[in-house]
Amino acid sequence: MNVFKMGWRGIWRNRRRTGVTVAATSLGLLTMILYAGLMEGYLRGMEASVLDLEVGDMQVHADDYRENPSIYTRIQDPEALIAPLEAAGLRATGRLLAFGMAASGDASAGVSFRGVDVERDARVSLIHDQLAQGSWLDPAEPSQVVLGRRIARTLAVEPGDELLVLSQGADGSMAYDLYTVRGILLGVSAATDRTGMFMTQAAFRELFVVPDGVHQIIVRRPADLDLASAAVRVQGLAGALDVRTWRQLLPTVASMMDSARAAIVVMFVIIYIAIGILILNAMLMAVFERVREFGVMKALGVSPLGVLRLILVESAIMTGIAIAIGVGLGVPGLIYLSEVGLNLSSLAGVSIMGLAMDPHWRAVITPDVFRLPIVTLVSIVAIAVVYPAVKASLISPIEAMRYR
Amino acid sequence: MTQTNGDPAARLVDVTKRYRQGALDVFALRGLSLTIEKGEFTALCGPSGSGKTTTLNLIGALDRPTSGTVYLEGKDLAPLSRRQLSELRRDRIGFVFQAYNLMPVLTAYENAEIVLALQGVDAATRRERVLGLLADVGLEGLEDRRPDQLSGGQQQRVAIARAIASDPALVLADEPTANVDSETADHLLDIMEDLNRQRGVTFLFSTHDPRVMERARRVVRIVDGRVDSDETDRSEAG
Repeated sequence: MNVFKMGWRGIWRNRRRTGVTVAATSLGLLTMILYAGLMEGYLRGMEASVLDLEVGDMQVHADDYRENPSIYTRIQDPEALIAPLEAAGLRATGRLLAFGMAASGDASAGVSFRGVDVERDARVSLIHDQLAQGSWLDPAEPSQVVLGRRIARTLAVEPGDELLVLSQGADGSMAYDLYTVRGILLGVSAATDRTGMFMTQAAFRELFVVPDGVHQIIVRRPADLDLASAAVRVQGLAGALDVRTWRQLLPTVASMMDSARAAIVVMFVIIYIAIGILILNAMLMAVFERVREFGVMKALGVSPLGVLRLILVESAIMTGIAIAIGVGLGVPGLIYLSEVGLNLSSLAGVSIMGLAMDPHWRAVITPDVFRLPIVTLVSIVAIAVVYPAVKASLISPIEAMRYR
Repeated sequence: MTQTNGDPAARLVDVTKRYRQGALDVFALRGLSLTIEKGEFTALCGPSGSGKTTTLNLIGALDRPTSGTVYLEGKDLAPLSRRQLSELRRDRIGFVFQAYNLMPVLTAYENAEIVLALQGVDAATRRERVLGLLADVGLEGLEDRRPDQLSGGQQQRVAIARAIASDPALVLADEPTANVDSETADHLLDIMEDLNRQRGVTFLFSTHDPRVMERARRVVRIVDGRVDSDETDRSEAG
């Protein structure tokens, strides 16, 4: 009698027991898959809000700009760095930075100006997609600006409204002009939300009388290049310029993300243990309910290894069915969660450590989202079934046949 | 397959079996000696707890004695490993249990052939032998039924076919008629008696059933773990 045939018939003999076991296992797997997808989505979303919208992987500044930000401290020839960076597989863009005031009607607020190379910035940052109202900068409209959402609220402006900007030019002159609000951003970061004003580089140069150079170069690395190696590569090209990774620029955020990752791992372990106990219980039930039957098999001359093999084959078949069901339900579940997400709009406007939260928590679909739960499930089942299987295979036939 | 012609089918020499029940030692057998010759049709009888089933379990290599020696076809079972005992049960002993103990997922045919399959006998030989045996025990046409589609008597007939399929040295039958009505019991005994007479299969029963004792050619009465009486050649005498 083929052990697979016997195992297949064995699992369907008690349909309710098999149903409970398979349901428990596939539900456990489905939970693990959805949780893994959501957690990976959460971490990626968090990282994206830091890297894609605001900071980039690395930033390059002139000399001591970071310590003493000044409109005069610039990287004089940014192209001399950006071109080799792009040749080395990295993406980079320069930004101009300054501070000043903006006023509209009776309201006024401190502003952090950012002069953006619109075309190049789009390859480095996703901030152009982060608009709550209006649209992103257009190089053909240099008198239009995009504001952070809180400063827009402070100034009580909407797209189409005018505001007056006031600062000091690099030549010592008074820098002031009227601009039209083109767009208002969604939450990006606490600083950008409260003070950010984006304008084209041409507009910035004209307002602040800065004919050349940039204050900051934002660098992005390819996905297959780790941060430390990328930093070494950038520093090699940047020479004496100040190169810092996002982890150095935002150590608190980096530490918070590390903690979040660790907390997620702990949650994973807790969830997996809970699911493991559920599966262990189902497997123990499936084996111990049939100890008497295994005793008869042993009395007839089936070796302990033969009993062990039969139990393992039955478990493997049930696990295979559970994986098919779990993955079969997990794929559409993850597609839904990645496209629609969980609506956390009641938390809209909340930021953690200055990072804006996307009100829609979306899952991501990667091979790891399936691989890790499946590997874990198979390991749990293997551990769960080994004890009852070994016990059933080693029990004496007499003891097994008396088992109630 | 072990062949030890000339030796008795089974022999127990001064066998004791002690079980631990809580703080108490309970003796199931107290120095029992018994020889079962090949071709016998023997019943072990005695009151409940007298040691009948323990005797069958020891001869069937399902259990080990506390002291004394058990031989099967002249071979001492004591030094055999768990695996060797499994092989010995598979190759030389047939079991018929009170509760039939058929594999519920297998058909009547598959249940009857399981031991032959475990022995590695080829499919064609298995088929010929098993179909013949199922016909002998009156189950022709019921080969594809699962145990839950058979009556108690039919299940016990499958168990008998399974027990003798591998041509064992000895068939041990523990209360084989306890769960069937008297008509079925008579029919089962007819089958076993025929197998004993025509094929020379050795049967050893543990029983309370007077019908079994009437049919047995030797009745060994066990009381308190010892042989109390041993009547042989009864049928010939009767």
